[in-house]
Amino acid sequence: MKRQLNLVQTGRPPLQKILCLFLLFFIIHSISAQTTVTGKVSGTTQAQPIVGASVLVKGTKIGTTTNAEGMFTIGVPSGRKTLVISSVGYESMEVDITNSSNVSVQLKETTGGLTEVVVTGYTAQRKKDITGSVSVVNVADMKQTPVGTGEEALQGRASGVTVISSAQPGGASDIRIRGITSFAGNNAPLVIVDGVRSNLHDINANDIESVQVLKDAAAAIYGVAGSNGVIIITTKKGRSGRAKVSYDAYVGTTTRGKGYDMANTQEEANAIWLQQKNSGIAIPSHLQFGTGANPVIPDFITPAGVVGAGPDPATYDINTNQITRANKIGTDWYKEITRNALVQSHNLSVSSGSDKSSYFFSVNYLNQEGILKYQYLKRYSIRANTQFVIKDKIRVGENAYIFYKQNPRFGNQSEGSPFTTAYREDAIIPVYDIMGNFAGTKSLGLGNARNPFADIYRTKDNRNHNWNISGNLYAEVDFLRHFTARTSFGGIMDNNYSFNFNYVGYENAEGNTGSNSFGENAGYNNSWTFTNTLTYSNAFGQHNVRILVGTEAVKSNGRFVGATRSNYFSEDPNFWVIEAGTGTQANSGNAYQSALWSQMGKLEYGYAGKYLVNASLRRDGFSGFAEDQRWGYFPGVSAAWRISEEAFLKSVSFITDLKLRYSWAKLGSTGAVLSDNPYDLYSSRLGKSAYDLQGNSTGPLVGFYKSHIGNESTTWEEDIITNAGFDVVLFNNKLDVTLDWYKKKVSGLLFEQGGIATAPPIRGDAGLPLVNIGDIQNTGIDFNATYHGIIAKDFKIDITGIFTSYKNKIVDLPGLAYRDGDVVRNNRLQRHVEGRAFGEFFGYRVIGIFQDDADIAKSPTQQGDEEPGLFKYQDMNNDGKIDADDRTFIGNPNPDFTYGLNIAASYKNFDFSAFFFGSVGNDIFNNTLYFTDFPDFFKGGIRREAAINSWTPTNTNTKIPKLRTTGGFSTDNSGYANSYFISKGSYLRNKQMQIGYTLPSKLLSQYGIDRSRVYIQAANLFTITKYEGLDPELPTQPDSNGNIFRTHQFGIDQGSYPHTPSFLVGLNINF
Amino acid sequence: MKKTKYKFFIISSIVIVAVIIACGKKFLDKPPLGTLNPDILATEKGVQGLLIGAYSMVDGEGAAGDGFASGASNWIFGGVTSDDAYKGSDPTDVAEAAPMEQWVSLTPTNSALPQKWIACYAGAQRSNDVLRTLAIATGISTDLATDITAQARFLRAFYHFELKKIFNKIIYADETVDATNINVTNSADTWPRIEEDLSFAVANLPDSWPGEPGRANVWAAKALLAKVYMFQKKYSTAYPILQDIIANGKTAGGTKYALMPHQYSNFNPAQKNSAESVFAAQTSVQDGSSVDWGGDPNGNYGDILNFPYTGGPGACCGFYNPSQDLANAYKTDAAGLPLLDTWYTGLNVSAQASIPAAGAPYTGTLDPRIDLTMGRPGIPYLDWGLHPGEAWIRNPVNDGVLSPKKNVYAASQKDAYTDVGSAYWGPTELVANNVNIIRFADVILWAAECAAEANDLPKAMEYVNMIRSRAADPTGWVYKNSDYSAPTATYNTQTTPAGNYKIGLYTSFPSQEYAIKAIRFERRLELAMEGQRFFDLVRWGIAAPTINAYIAREKVLRPLKANANFTAGKNEYMPIPQGEIDNMNSDGTIRLEQNPGY
Repeated sequence: MKRQLNLVQTGRPPLQKILCLFLLFFIIHSISAQTTVTGKVSGTTQAQPIVGASVLVKGTKIGTTTNAEGMFTIGVPSGRKTLVISSVGYESMEVDITNSSNVSVQLKETTGGLTEVVVTGYTAQRKKDITGSVSVVNVADMKQTPVGTGEEALQGRASGVTVISSAQPGGASDIRIRGITSFAGNNAPLVIVDGVRSNLHDINANDIESVQVLKDAAAAIYGVAGSNGVIIITTKKGRSGRAKVSYDAYVGTTTRGKGYDMANTQEEANAIWLQQKNSGIAIPSHLQFGTGANPVIPDFITPAGVVGAGPDPATYDINTNQITRANKIGTDWYKEITRNALVQSHNLSVSSGSDKSSYFFSVNYLNQEGILKYQYLKRYSIRANTQFVIKDKIRVGENAYIFYKQNPRFGNQSEGSPFTTAYREDAIIPVYDIMGNFAGTKSLGLGNARNPFADIYRTKDNRNHNWNISGNLYAEVDFLRHFTARTSFGGIMDNNYSFNFNYVGYENAEGNTGSNSFGENAGYNNSWTFTNTLTYSNAFGQHNVRILVGTEAVKSNGRFVGATRSNYFSEDPNFWVIEAGTGTQANSGNAYQSALWSQMGKLEYGYAGKYLVNASLRRDGFSGFAEDQRWGYFPGVSAAWRISEEAFLKSVSFITDLKLRYSWAKLGSTGAVLSDNPYDLYSSRLGKSAYDLQGNSTGPLVGFYKSHIGNESTTWEEDIITNAGFDVVLFNNKLDVTLDWYKKKVSGLLFEQGGIATAPPIRGDAGLPLVNIGDIQNTGIDFNATYHGIIAKDFKIDITGIFTSYKNKIVDLPGLAYRDGDVVRNNRLQRHVEGRAFGEFFGYRVIGIFQDDADIAKSPTQQGDEEPGLFKYQDMNNDGKIDADDRTFIGNPNPDFTYGLNIAASYKNFDFSAFFFGSVGNDIFNNTLYFTDFPDFFKGGIRREAAINSWTPTNTNTKIPKLRTTGGFSTDNSGYANSYFISKGSYLRNKQMQIGYTLPSKLLSQYGIDRSRVYIQAANLFTITKYEGLDPELPTQPDSNGNIFRTHQFGIDQGSYPHTPSFLVGLNINF
Repeated sequence: MKKTKYKFFIISSIVIVAVIIACGKKFLDKPPLGTLNPDILATEKGVQGLLIGAYSMVDGEGAAGDGFASGASNWIFGGVTSDDAYKGSDPTDVAEAAPMEQWVSLTPTNSALPQKWIACYAGAQRSNDVLRTLAIATGISTDLATDITAQARFLRAFYHFELKKIFNKIIYADETVDATNINVTNSADTWPRIEEDLSFAVANLPDSWPGEPGRANVWAAKALLAKVYMFQKKYSTAYPILQDIIANGKTAGGTKYALMPHQYSNFNPAQKNSAESVFAAQTSVQDGSSVDWGGDPNGNYGDILNFPYTGGPGACCGFYNPSQDLANAYKTDAAGLPLLDTWYTGLNVSAQASIPAAGAPYTGTLDPRIDLTMGRPGIPYLDWGLHPGEAWIRNPVNDGVLSPKKNVYAASQKDAYTDVGSAYWGPTELVANNVNIIRFADVILWAAECAAEANDLPKAMEYVNMIRSRAADPTGWVYKNSDYSAPTATYNTQTTPAGNYKIGLYTSFPSQEYAIKAIRFERRLELAMEGQRFFDLVRWGIAAPTINAYIAREKVLRPLKANANFTAGKNEYMPIPQGEIDNMNSDGTIRLEQNPGY
């Protein structure tokens, strides 16, 4: 952008001068004769003043808002005769002031909110004028769910938006708008906060004024970033009137939940005996449980299997002679790592305004302890939004949000994470040995899991710090009556700093002889968005026109640096600095940059308020593509017909409003494309291209390797989305319904390059670029309905239902018969083929258990692994043998639909609300069973059901196959999934339920309190599901930073942080 | 007034639009950070750096998709496949290696296969990158260019040879093969291409590389060429080369080739790149690579699992346990000679108490190399104390009671030759212990084979006895009640040998058949657990009978082997990875054909 300024300064009149001249002109122009009008705005009764209602002189930009008593004063230029008065929740009204300078206005409540103004991407429209598919979130309802991240708050609140949340405080959630649109990386929508590209994750929900989700052509104005949908968030502004202070707080506890039902020590020992006997070992033997007909539970597990008095404690040595008593009952590891966790949030906001300036200021403190010990989210945030009006024509302002958070998190959904080791660690192992040091699998014969409590305890002194500043500065100028120029510059500065100490897990079977080490990391991510728009809007006759043109530049960059050192003399946290280590030192670092440069235009046209057309076009250039592939055009058109305005429907009394809509748009996604994508590149990396040619054992020479193959023809994923829908308001605003049908066809999917050129003999080991192959399609229905009822006097009820569905289909995978998902441990779980959905599970279908030799004899062969008690697979091709050709699709993690149901009722001073979220028709791959039901796989904990109810010749009515010492094709180890692990994943969850009481205002007014409400609340109170794992709501496996990354690995339970019930009390006070 | 206003508006609009368009192109110029483009490397330093990158794949690790199965030691493809060793650990841990001892479950989708395939072709293409960049580089002298070319072609031949012996039907990827030239198949015979590269290397490589013992010199090239001939049974072509190496060869460091006085010196990180080291994968630790996630540590990552479980060095992961059959092979007769036909009869060496079928333990005499090759219960495991038996075994039912020993290190060498730190899950199993690819003993035994094939039996016996003489030297044996001296790989107090050792020299090879049997047996004993055995069995044409006999003997002890069966004419080579076949043939042109039987 520097170049731009230079050019202006040398060749043309300086920009500032031009601006000044413009300003001067407007100032002159606006000084003219005016009269003053005062008035009061109230609701249906005079006793209800409407605070913050907007009062606008029709045909101008002159406006103000009402104060706390509903009063306003406005200067009206001569020749202007009409005021337009509007407020959220009321129908707007035009007031003739020809004959009066003092008016009293009563607004009618419009529960349908048709006149509500909704931000739709660089412009704002009244809801009734919207032509695209836009979900408007009920923010008040949304805020009622006590969660730490914006994604979670959005769950079930907007039709078309599927959110799968992580229960780990601060954990990332999967969020998808209208299904899965990309294989390689990114399905996350674009999030715009106050006009700036931002994110939802750490927003303070109390600051949110409105949330809109653009799902079709409405998102086309965001071009190459719009394909996954756009979430637009506007934060609160100050309103006219005296300063208002709100304090909102809740405090409560999240319960630890029920945990796993694991076998106790005796049950497990019996299962080990059964396992060996089943495998033909006549006299079972185990390093802990002895040798003989029955297992003997020892008194000590280190030394192994000692019955009776243990060794002399004086001989104890933590490294060579740990002495550990057996837990003869069995340790409940889930219980050891969890707690009932404290959650609290305190939010204080102050806002005020006049017709010349306004401010909104808030501070928030959130402390969400995780049910996992030592895990928490602590966030301190401040928001300051201000706006100044200069000479009526110019508005300048800023939105600023600063937060500092500490959010240590553990790995989730992976076999080393705490909720996984909790079922892998053996029950006989106690938490501590006789000296109070940790006990673990170093005690022989008990597998290789890590002591899950020790693992989390050892993180307690690690710290991570995250400072983040986001927001924007903006200026708006009205000129030439119909024009508004707006400039906004904003962005995010995100800084991370963390350090962590790695202790030697002396108690574990593996990794018990290393040395300690310490790591320290720092990084930053910056991005800015610079937007300039010019809007022309005019209403003449029956025509209503708005035209917007603009440019936008977005730049992102970041760097990361990390250092580690080993061999610390002391593990005392006060000793933890990089310099203090004496062993190996290593460092790491990386950097990235990208830019987006865009021009756009948009037309909104309405005729007589009933024929509405919108059109937009955006031209985007993205730096991650080669120069001739960089630029794309993204058009969108939409039209709506408010058929209820037609004469023939006017007489239909039960229809208050009916609008039909249709849209078509082309959007794009740059997926996970990075700036290296077009280039052939070489890199240097210790682990990959260093070699110790000198043979000195510690100082390899560092060379180069080809790290990346470029592709210059890669470009964006192209998404054609068509949408048809209607909005209807019925029975005098009692019921409003929106229904949309859509088809989203994404072509040129960004995949890692496939095909012959990527084969190792051709390309070696260079990294592959993303290229455009394959098409995917989502079709679905979004539906929401709200019913506002008055059951009796003082008894009101609102019910909102949200329905979201997508049907995903892979349309085309050119040159590939299939594309497999990753191997999870030993087995490949997923396969992608044309005509089926993304992420479907693929493998053998279990049709029963072989009951006896006769059963085996009449069944197809199973690669030599046929015995009574093993799985019987379905012979898909009926060739008499089960082999790779008999694998089939055995489950689909995509739900048929998800839904949200919100019920809000009030009776006099009492209010009640409840919110339910559900998912229907999705399958879960329960990979935890691999560890808990197949002790041949890895020794360790066994599920109680597997220990006591596995197949035996006398226990044949079971689904659990016989336990054996060596797995095989017909149980857990075919190299592919089988349907034993598949479970129905549908669930219905009560996300929150609360009862509130508003204290009588008479009581409070003497203390200067306007309103005070107290409530009690339960979150995640109950879940109805047939799924037997801990939690059917399963986010994909996050990367080491906690970010969701394996797009396709969803619906797989690898030990996930569970959602458990919380109980809270809360308070809202307004001064 | 009004006119002026519009003029300003129009002019400023034009300016803004002009600026906007001019600004876009530059603004979007955001090259990747932290990488190099090909032109920057077209210098001497750049090409030398690429050559180091090509060498760095010799250890089998460092390419995306590599793993335990791609390690230089070939413990899975050459060891577990043979009668030397079990996979180890629990049967479903690294389950992809179980089919290498079961055979019936070995399919083209096995995930161990692509690891080796990818790592070797990565090495080959990195070698090609050296040649391609050299072609466009400036400022490199002709002599230097020849040195570089010869090393790159040696490495390319090495990588293809690894592929050849495992997969047989392979593609030869030279520097012309890239995305613009995919016209390759695995139907052509690749031996001549390998020989051609090695012949160039023999003709152009220097005698030594002072200070850089890890590079390939002319003698390494000759040895590899001889090995290539041995695999083609071209004994008479190999023999003179081998004789030349034995008479004149020296290491890249400039030391004349010789057998080290103590066999275990070849597995001692303190004595690496010794006079016996012809070509080895170099390893390094504490160089920062172990925390370089996504890369691969430069310590011997391929063998990181191959340590006793829970105790001793590393504490993880209990893989690659020597087989009962291998232990029995070290039995000797009254003359100290191996039981060439009857080693497996009678009692089991270190018979496993918890398995009744294993019977009582053998108490007769043993070749002392048994305790240099494997950890046995009650025998000192270097300076880690006595091997405790099952306590160091992950899954005794399938893994027996023996532990690998040739890739481990002494307690006194911890930290000096191991990685330190806990960022990596197995830092102390990352060892700066070179992986022998060709050692001088190997060369001598090939020469013995060639002599026997030429029916020069006294010479053949002389070669074999060279190896046995060293093994018979009691200073290299394992002793009880003694401290292990890591710098020399010997025990300080040599009073009580750890086992009932007896080893003698051959006094005659009565027939060519006997000679060949004795040489083959000697190779097994000397090179056990070094990833050679299976390839030897295949090149001798005796894989199926040997392995099936072994399975028949072992299945009574090991449940994992219950259904095992080796199919002759099929299992001699691994299947070509199915994913590679699908990919290479995806446009309908058959470039990769599967090996017979799969």
